[in-house]
Amino acid sequence: MLRFYFEVARTAYRRQLIYRWANLAGLLTNIFFGAIFSYVIIALYHARPVVTGYNVQDALRYTWLVQAMIMVVLPFSWFDLMLTIRSGEVVTDLSKPCDFYWYWFSREVGRNVYYVFFRFLPTYLAGALLFSFGLPGDWHSWLAYGLAFPLGAMTGITYRFLYNVIAFWIVEARAMVTLASVVALFFTGSYVPLPFFPAWLRAIADWLPFNGLMNIPVEIVLGKLNGNMLWLAYSRQIFWLIVLTLIVRGMTLLASRRVVVQGG
Amino acid sequence: MTLMIEAEDLCKKFRVTRRRSGLLGGLRSVVNPEVRIVPAVNDLALKVERGEIIGLIGPNGAGKSTTIKMMTGILTPTSGRVYVAGLVPMRQRRELASRIGVVFGQRTQLWWDLPLLDSLHLLRHLYRVPEERYNANLKRLRLMLDLDEFIHTPVRQLSLGQRMRGDLAAALLHDPELLYLDEPTIGLDVVAKARIREFLLSLNAEHETTILLTTHDMDDVEMLCPRMIIIDHGRKLYDGSVAEIRARFGGERMLIAVLDAAEVAALPRGDDGQPRLPSLPPGVRQVQADGPRLWLSFGSAGSSTMPAHELVAWLGTRYRLHDVTCQEPEIEDIIRRIYEEGLLLKNL
Amino acid sequence: MQIISWRAVLHDMLLYRRLIALQIRAQLQYKINVLIDIGTYLAVTVLEFGALLLFFGPFPSLLGWKIGEVALLAAIMSISFGFAEMAGAGIDNFSDTIRRGEFDRVLLRPVGAFTQVIGSDFRLRRLGRITQGTIAFVIALRLLPNLHWTAAKLLILPISIISGAVIFISILLLGATLCFWTVETTELTNMLTYGGREMLSYPITIYSQTLQRFFLFVVPIAFGSYVPTCYILERPLPFGIPSSVAFAAPLVALVFALVAGIVWSFGVNRYQSTGS
Repeated sequence: MLRFYFEVARTAYRRQLIYRWANLAGLLTNIFFGAIFSYVIIALYHARPVVTGYNVQDALRYTWLVQAMIMVVLPFSWFDLMLTIRSGEVVTDLSKPCDFYWYWFSREVGRNVYYVFFRFLPTYLAGALLFSFGLPGDWHSWLAYGLAFPLGAMTGITYRFLYNVIAFWIVEARAMVTLASVVALFFTGSYVPLPFFPAWLRAIADWLPFNGLMNIPVEIVLGKLNGNMLWLAYSRQIFWLIVLTLIVRGMTLLASRRVVVQGG
Repeated sequence: MTLMIEAEDLCKKFRVTRRRSGLLGGLRSVVNPEVRIVPAVNDLALKVERGEIIGLIGPNGAGKSTTIKMMTGILTPTSGRVYVAGLVPMRQRRELASRIGVVFGQRTQLWWDLPLLDSLHLLRHLYRVPEERYNANLKRLRLMLDLDEFIHTPVRQLSLGQRMRGDLAAALLHDPELLYLDEPTIGLDVVAKARIREFLLSLNAEHETTILLTTHDMDDVEMLCPRMIIIDHGRKLYDGSVAEIRARFGGERMLIAVLDAAEVAALPRGDDGQPRLPSLPPGVRQVQADGPRLWLSFGSAGSSTMPAHELVAWLGTRYRLHDVTCQEPEIEDIIRRIYEEGLLLKNL
Repeated sequence: MQIISWRAVLHDMLLYRRLIALQIRAQLQYKINVLIDIGTYLAVTVLEFGALLLFFGPFPSLLGWKIGEVALLAAIMSISFGFAEMAGAGIDNFSDTIRRGEFDRVLLRPVGAFTQVIGSDFRLRRLGRITQGTIAFVIALRLLPNLHWTAAKLLILPISIISGAVIFISILLLGATLCFWTVETTELTNMLTYGGREMLSYPITIYSQTLQRFFLFVVPIAFGSYVPTCYILERPLPFGIPSSVAFAAPLVALVFALVAGIVWSFGVNRYQSTGS
């Protein structure tokens, strides 16, 4: 069975390879917005050299890491599952002899791998070249990132699945999808780096599931989380990954029962 | 001025750049494009009088839509001249647009989510039809096209036949002098087709509306068009009546007779074990048999073999006929024959 | 090229009004959906604005600009862009129109092609961004207690908001014209519109001189946001440009719109000669 999921992931990866031009256009957009934020951050730092332990280099790296990771962790308006629900395709998917959730999960992992190579790496490289802030952290933090990034990406898959599965119950859910994406992006540092948040908002954000999506991995690779803080961060990520997965699996179970009873 | 459409030496050549594949190929295409000249329409000449109904026939890709696009101002000719209602389509696009109507068989010009009536109201303003004339036209069209049963239904819920009637009404609200119809009966059932044809005939009779219709349906042409134009590879192959083309190039026709089963069983068998009709008249031969159904091919309308009704009579005196159908050759076959016999007729 | 008569222009404008009224009526049929859409868009844009304000938590100023000043800039930009998004929706959809082969029908009507395109859609849900802009404006005012308003400053607001909207719509039109050549360029247009909006929500002095010149003299969206804001805040403009140039915004918009219009006509002509 594992072999099947691996093939699903591989197929998804291969499929993405076809959309070269779309990816290039998206990459340019990522770089463009990264550049805008960079200008803003550089201008802001004229007034104060360090904020919560972040100097301008850290802040720039943070911005570009998040920008680079977005397509992997939280692609904006991901509707794929919702579309199959709308079209009824999901009924055939649910009756396949594999686990519905792991099937989608593997697909997304395949896509994620593509985006790691063709968006994450080029975006960060472009930023580093344009604004000369070099690579973050050291091999310790990279190692730690090697765990945190996948954790964040997997939680991202679960989250996307969650706000899509709601389409089983709500018909016109597009607006909600947009809102779900935006809120998640906001609370993971895509609009404003979490280290810049005022204390009260930071406290809230720390406990939300979105923190672990991108903010925690980025903070880790920048070397800002060490020792106990690092383990706390991991545990937060893992906690939410498990919780969200359980919720999603529960909802899928409910949904598939409903489909069986009502016949799609 | 009675000449509705006048075209001379009309040519359209398309420049087609071949897109090369691959990343590098895409870049190469920009810098050094491989350009091919595709002639879509070649030296077309055409004269259409006001009040004529003309059928435009040709295989797909023959240049029919390109010609019509040039006549409506959508496309610029590469060379040559065309005048429609005395106007130059490209230069006087808007003025021409208010005097012609166009119906596409496969695409509607109505607003998808709106009830038909709302679309018509909107088109009234689009075409600046004065209120009185609009009301009169609407009333007339509602009657002639039987629109009342669905005039308040959103267009996306209409059947194909209803939508086609809606599109016709939409195209005629502003009393166009010239009506282009692109495959108007495609996909419609027999009854719907008949209705549309009846409507077009009365439109032409009452209002002298010139009608140019593109179609693959030979019945459309035979029932509506006194004059038929065949276009292939961008050239006009034929310009004349339908009967004449059958007479000259029609080739053989097929009579399908359904005889009584018992009588067929009593017929002598041929080499293939199938029942054969003995002693058929000259020029008539049996091509196929399938139970009580027999296919008989006989000469074209102008040839010396007996005409269809005589053959039917001949069969009827000897056998009990349950059903008889006469099959005409396909227009594609006729065109192929025209090519094979190397014949190109110029306009008279 | 067609020689357009004044009667034709008037007819087109009346028709535009009618087409828009139709769009609005059609959308209002689903009142709840419209409200949800507006609400969502409002929430999204409010979050964006909130993010802007959050930057001023740890940082006292943005290259000398205080929080209230940046908020005012963002507010004016939002309102202007919101109007452009709302009215220019038809132009935004143009790539779909071309892809579906519906432009032929546009040419078959006795109406200008541009009127039909811009009249084909009117996105009510963009009222969400306009509402956010208004809220942001109110917040900006509260953050700028010492701002002294004159009649001229009040006048510059509608002038520049409308001019800015016209410029954005012209950019959309330029992007739509590209669709006559290839339908793959929607990302590029998006970058110029949404990217431009994002960039000019911050004072252009944070960008390089080249970029500043670009947004002032080439694609002059600064005239819909930065220039009037500087006028209101009595801040100097870059390159020694006098503040009163803010009142030239309508002229700038007109020139840019004319350029876009000419390029569009050229595109339509090309469509008519190649038919693709």
